[in-house]
Amino acid sequence: MSRPSNFPPPFSTAGYVTEPTDPADERIEVGVLVVGAGPAGLACAIRLGQLFEEHPDVAERLGDVPVALLEKGKQPGSHLLSGAVVDPRALRRLFGDRLRMDELPSFGPVPAESVYVLTRSAALPIPPPPPMRNHGNWIFSLSQLGRFLAERAEEAGAMILPETAAQKLLVSHGRVVGVRTGDKGRSREGGELGNFEAGSDIVAKVTVLAEGTQGHLTGVALDRFALHGEDPQVWELGVKEVWKVAKPLDRVIHTMGWPLRTGKRYREFGGSFIYPMGKNMVTIGLVVGLDYRDASLSVHDLLQELKTHPKIRRILAGGERVAWGAKTIPSGGFHSLPSRLHAPGLLLCGDGAGMVNIPRLKGVHYAIESGRLAAEAAFRALQRGETPASALSSYDDAVRDSYIWEDLYEVRNMRQVFGRGFFVGGALASAMTMSKGRVELGKMRAEPDADQPLLVTDRDAGYPAPDGQLTFDKLSSVFASGNKTRDDQPNHIRIERRVPREVAQLWAHMCPAQVYEVGAEEGDGTVLVDVAPSNCVQCGAITAKGGRLTPPEGGSGPEYTLT
Amino acid sequence: MSTLVFLEHHGNELQQGALGVLGKAASLGDGEVGAVIAGEGARALAAEAGTFGAAKVWACEDAEVAQPLPQPRVDVLAQVVEEGGYDTVLFANSVLAADVAAGLAARLDAGLNWDLTDVALRGGDLVGKRPALQDSVYAEVGWTSTPRLALFRAGSFDATAAAGGGQPEIADISASYREHSTAVQLEGQDAEESSGPSIEDADIIVAGGRGLGSSDNFTLAEELAKALGGAVGATRAVVDAGWYPYSAQIGQTGKTVSPKLYVALGVSGAIQHKVGMQSSGTIVAINKDANAPIFEFSDLGVVGDLHEIVPKLTELVRQRRG
Repeated sequence: MSRPSNFPPPFSTAGYVTEPTDPADERIEVGVLVVGAGPAGLACAIRLGQLFEEHPDVAERLGDVPVALLEKGKQPGSHLLSGAVVDPRALRRLFGDRLRMDELPSFGPVPAESVYVLTRSAALPIPPPPPMRNHGNWIFSLSQLGRFLAERAEEAGAMILPETAAQKLLVSHGRVVGVRTGDKGRSREGGELGNFEAGSDIVAKVTVLAEGTQGHLTGVALDRFALHGEDPQVWELGVKEVWKVAKPLDRVIHTMGWPLRTGKRYREFGGSFIYPMGKNMVTIGLVVGLDYRDASLSVHDLLQELKTHPKIRRILAGGERVAWGAKTIPSGGFHSLPSRLHAPGLLLCGDGAGMVNIPRLKGVHYAIESGRLAAEAAFRALQRGETPASALSSYDDAVRDSYIWEDLYEVRNMRQVFGRGFFVGGALASAMTMSKGRVELGKMRAEPDADQPLLVTDRDAGYPAPDGQLTFDKLSSVFASGNKTRDDQPNHIRIERRVPREVAQLWAHMCPAQVYEVGAEEGDGTVLVDVAPSNCVQCGAITAKGGRLTPPEGGSGPEYTLT
Repeated sequence: MSTLVFLEHHGNELQQGALGVLGKAASLGDGEVGAVIAGEGARALAAEAGTFGAAKVWACEDAEVAQPLPQPRVDVLAQVVEEGGYDTVLFANSVLAADVAAGLAARLDAGLNWDLTDVALRGGDLVGKRPALQDSVYAEVGWTSTPRLALFRAGSFDATAAAGGGQPEIADISASYREHSTAVQLEGQDAEESSGPSIEDADIIVAGGRGLGSSDNFTLAEELAKALGGAVGATRAVVDAGWYPYSAQIGQTGKTVSPKLYVALGVSGAIQHKVGMQSSGTIVAINKDANAPIFEFSDLGVVGDLHEIVPKLTELVRQRRG
């Protein structure tokens, strides 16, 4: 059977590395340039603001804009989505005495929790396994938290540039010197429309890539500076909805099992989360590892199916869907971390670097902590006025000394063991967690998600027909994400368009936003894939499964507010 | 309240959307309504503005406003607002009007409510209606200071002659222009070739979707539109597929239309399309898929093969129209 990786996209990261091209007097000069207004980038900007307040002399040397932050979404938070039951320790550390937890835009601490193994009609409660215990964690909308942190970052002196895509990495004499932003106002064919605006070179002393999952320039930098980890990165795809509900939910719920299949050959690793957002809202999401093999698997439609389970239908009864979104989660863990988190002039943070604890389904606190540590490393280098290649290496040391490293080491083989099938994998995973990682299972080989050979089943026949009340079609979901991307812009998705039918089917089913459709037969057993790029919510699944997502025009994509 | 409406014109035609806003302003019945026409031939159009409810028309034919550029119009409007003592300025959305409205808001340090679909007087206060959350709810918006500026969504109001409309008072005005206002020159203007009315102004639209099957089959939609005297629209899917130009795209990321009659051929009715045409008068859908969402919001639904039905329909319309 075909593997998606046999049909690579017309794409090379080398095309996204350039020397500065704008004349020297037209470049925008900043001190520290942070790419991505997510928890990592915003924490970095906030911490830099704190340090500059204590040491105004360092800030002064950096010119008019000591800290700038680029965000490709309409505003900070527009592209943030998470099942955000957040471990609060990183936020506490970042703000210290400056802010109390109850001043954050949170839905409060986790009240209680339950874990169920689902079958089609039943739900068997099990005691929460250690990694799923959420006592002491706080419930957020990550999009709301992002908007809040962006206000704090601006108060701390950062200049935030929304609707600005970081398109190319500026490298001069082997050193990252900033980024080039994307053009705006190009037509589908690439021509200049009436509102055309060329991108700019933004040059910086230190560039911090905090782009989140599937970070575009992070991928470019990993290639350019040979920073790839021991194992390739792998991902999961999460799709979630926010519901207004008639009666409050009193607990955080996780489910395992149905509608995923447990057979080893399917490689379906994942589960759902359901939690309250205050008294009248509930979030429900389903996460599935992208190493799955069945070309007819659709996480979007499995989530629709999950909602028809009697247990879950009861929670949503009388309610209304108010938001929808999708995003990938890096899940390779410890062995997939980059070999180094810095390069000359460059630091890598958060999800972009793969800092996610998959059995706990948590990474927001690592993002915030790594952003804070990146700020301190950048500050130390700037304070000494150092520019040697090693100036930022203290960031790697700081991350290795932090709980990020300790936690990820503890669960280092978690994802790989699930390739042995759900029950064997589940038992091994529990053993690993309960022993705090002391059980040595031997490192298992991890394959890229796109290397999994495909199989085709008829499971798509079982997805529920959308009724517009409980279950929805993909285009309605895209609408609920707030996505109203300009249609007549260049296609930002790179795929091989002529592929075997099963690869086309894989992409069509996989994409939660209906970007891909199986098109015309080409006569030699292949089909042409039709692409509707403006549906794209930039979840990144295509990059995991054999294509490549690049940033579209700034301001495109979803406009999340509640996710 | 003293209201001023910006009337945009191209050639010797006032824009329907702007006349609709003028009619709405006059129907509020609170004080006289003025209108501004700026550009070549402004004076000759003043009488027409009167029939839509303008009591006074400010006509500016300065060389600076000969080209359809926003900034000189900001100067004209700012001057008229001052001379005429207006406390409310209304615009119908267009590429030009949106720029002028934004520029005027900055010049006068005034509040601009945009994307409104309606406005009403309540206890002496002006209250705007604005769709929010992807048009799923309406928000009521107001102003905390004067002058109050408002930009209305295209197609919000029908352009109908106002009761009691008549010959307006005409004031010729010449504005003083700021240096930066005249710094931009228009290099050229291209008009897209089109036959028949534009879809924003058409009373009848025949829209084609993917159910047509191929770009060649758009002739079915074109023939029917021609017979009905209407314009042709398209869904995003077919524009994406290159079957029809983007200028005809109706929906969330295309144009918003509200014709009296909307005929949808092979249009599934995804919500992205619906929000661009849901305020149409009568919606007729022909689709072979009985489960297509469009049947949930059409007034007349025909489940069947459009390739058989549409040619016959076109023929019948032609016969009736003789």
